[in-house]
Amino acid sequence: MYLRMIRQSFFEGRKRKALAAITVALAAALITTLLNLSVDVGDKMAREMKAYGSNIRVVPKSENIPLKIGGVDFNPLKGRDYLDETELTKIKDIFWSNNIVGMAPFLDVPVEIAGKDAGRVSLIGTYFRKSMPLPSDEDYRTGVRITHPYWQVTGAWPDDESASEVLVGRSLAQRLGVAAGETIHVTRPTDGTGGSGQASYRITGILATGEAEDNAIVAPLGAVQGLAGLAGKVQSVSVSALTIPENELSRKAIRDQDSLSTSEYDVWYCSAFVSSIAHQIEEAVINASARPVWQVAAGEGVVIGKLQVLMLVVTLAAFASAAMGVSSLMNTAVMERAKEIGLMKALGAAEWQIHLLFLTEAVIIGVVGGVLGFIAGSGLSQAVGWAVFGSTLAFHWIAVPVVIAVSVATALAGSILPARSITRLMPVEVLYGR
Amino acid sequence: MAVNSKLRSAFLWRMLVKALTVRKGRAAIAVASIMVGAAVVFALTSLYLDISRKMSEELRAYGANFFVGPAASSPDRRFDLAAYRKIVASIPEEKLAGASPFLYGVVRLDLGNAVLAGVDFSGLKAISPYWQPEGGWITVDFDERNCIVGRGLADKMELTVGKTVTVFNRDKTFRTELRVKGIVETGEAADEQMFVNMSLAKKIFGTGERIDLAMLSVVAEGTEADALAARINGQFPGVEAKPIRKISQSDGRILDKIEGFMALVAAIILVITTLCVNAILSAMVVERTPEIGLMKALGADDRAIVFQFLAETVLICLVGVGLGLLVGFALAQVLGQTVFSAWVSLRPLVVPLTVGISLVAAIAAAVIPIRSAIGVVPARVLKGE
Repeated sequence: MYLRMIRQSFFEGRKRKALAAITVALAAALITTLLNLSVDVGDKMAREMKAYGSNIRVVPKSENIPLKIGGVDFNPLKGRDYLDETELTKIKDIFWSNNIVGMAPFLDVPVEIAGKDAGRVSLIGTYFRKSMPLPSDEDYRTGVRITHPYWQVTGAWPDDESASEVLVGRSLAQRLGVAAGETIHVTRPTDGTGGSGQASYRITGILATGEAEDNAIVAPLGAVQGLAGLAGKVQSVSVSALTIPENELSRKAIRDQDSLSTSEYDVWYCSAFVSSIAHQIEEAVINASARPVWQVAAGEGVVIGKLQVLMLVVTLAAFASAAMGVSSLMNTAVMERAKEIGLMKALGAAEWQIHLLFLTEAVIIGVVGGVLGFIAGSGLSQAVGWAVFGSTLAFHWIAVPVVIAVSVATALAGSILPARSITRLMPVEVLYGR
Repeated sequence: MAVNSKLRSAFLWRMLVKALTVRKGRAAIAVASIMVGAAVVFALTSLYLDISRKMSEELRAYGANFFVGPAASSPDRRFDLAAYRKIVASIPEEKLAGASPFLYGVVRLDLGNAVLAGVDFSGLKAISPYWQPEGGWITVDFDERNCIVGRGLADKMELTVGKTVTVFNRDKTFRTELRVKGIVETGEAADEQMFVNMSLAKKIFGTGERIDLAMLSVVAEGTEADALAARINGQFPGVEAKPIRKISQSDGRILDKIEGFMALVAAIILVITTLCVNAILSAMVVERTPEIGLMKALGADDRAIVFQFLAETVLICLVGVGLGLLVGFALAQVLGQTVFSAWVSLRPLVVPLTVGISLVAAIAAAVIPIRSAIGVVPARVLKGE
């Protein structure tokens, strides 16, 4: 009897049922999209935030105090500690290897420019986009063009393998009165570390960063190593890593790593906090000290935190409106069937039977709408992912039960209240149409 | 004829009022759902229009985005402190998040040489929100007895918070004792430097009213930073101002992404809310088929029926939107407060936008059922088929 009634009621108001299911589906699509976006927005924005440059700086453990003023280091090079260039691949070898977007080594040497009264300037050696074969990836290329995407070059980038091509900082170029295409001669003040000490470079481009590099010469690492007699040595490495915002645990780890319990340590070690990635780089590279660049790391945390709150709040607002829409539609659908309910009561149906009828209907509508909506929403969220971030969003299985449960719950919420109030009416009143 | 048409419009009006008052419950539901839809549209659009400025303020967490240094022609590679003050004063107060001058020099400490920087601490705190010194900040500008030391320098010079360090200038003509008020870790050059108030640094280095450089944190969207640099360079000869690309360029990129993202999310919510409201209105019109039959049986023509339904829809919609605007404004404030801890400003553009979208949605919702209503055959409906 009950099953037949359900079937009857479905075939009777097919149009209405379809409309209800479509509304549920729309709401479910909305919820799916927002859910997918909220889960992924942190990751996606973290990738975008790489525009701010590297967030970890690796230096030798016992580096002397650099007496740097205006980007020029006034300390002699002699007796300094360096990192080995060959150690660089180990940075890409850590547990969080996939989170390492890129790295760039630096070697900074003070030089004088022959024939120009410019005082001491920094000659910085680095990778531009150098091939660095890894066991896992033969074609791996890295350098400042990846880790420092905001470096703006007018002209061409030097070739990493060349020993005679350089970029000149914008302010320095202005001071020297040189332009791209010209050649400059540099000499290194003697401090007895060997190396050729003199070189001629062709300027391929002018570099603008707004920072110390504006007053420096930037050359391929090999060229600078040759000039300074420091073959295979680097002074620091900038690492760009994808990280998650700091939380209470990571702050505790930064304050005092020994205060963590074993399980806390495991959680911290296996999360992509900037501090734990830095810690793992220290473990991997001999004689290195890895420090988060807090300007980038902390700023990233703040902005991503805000975005996640924004997404959450928007999701809740949208969720409320979708739920309201579905509920009011179900409400209309139930109210309109007051006559039917009156008749059922007159024929002796108990209140719970009537409730059961409506609830079953609501559940069916909720499930059908939820499934359809989930499919539509998944497609929609991929479209949004492509449009905004240029990549797909991950598929989250957790969204399936959540979306369907939410759909059923809103459909139920919309049916229960009106069904209750109608069942309380006297059959006669309803049948008379009052 | 005039009387007739007057009579007619009075009749239509009565029907309209009747339709809404007799079915109070139903009308209330429609009003409520339109209200929610309009409120969400209103709140999200308001938030979207404010997001660029708000996020630009949030991005100040990355610190200074603007650098002012001496012009290439400067003899001692420094520029006047007075010029810095004038530049800061020339930037509107609500745009300036913070600024500090820097005066660098080498000093002798007990264990070796170090770079000392004279700064304006209140400004430094604003342009370096990511500095969280162990110990504390120097809070007053005339404090000449405390210093803040970078982590690397502190480790090498064996300094801890509360310890005293003796500072000589290079030729040992000036000597002072400073207490380490705080130790800061930044991961950058500041880790190897010590910071004191500008007034003390001027005494140590004896350079007079000249500074090496200044850093500013300016709330600037897109290319505003470049425009500001151009303005300062034109107005103040002797200085060279430039945006710090690392920050200003990335800010622009991130803002674009966030805006695009919000626009898409807002658009999706808008479309789906509209469709939901649409479905509800359609249901309401379909349900009234018998009424249409009766109207037709009593001699109403198609135009009268169309007019009746449209008028009803518009009326319900206007009430709903009116309420929605109020609720939406409140909702926008709640969103603004939760996310940005700031009020969202009311923009006149949002009101017609919300009203327009809601009306279009409602009328679109009414069109299909009204078309089918016109095709109703009175006799069949009245018989209850």
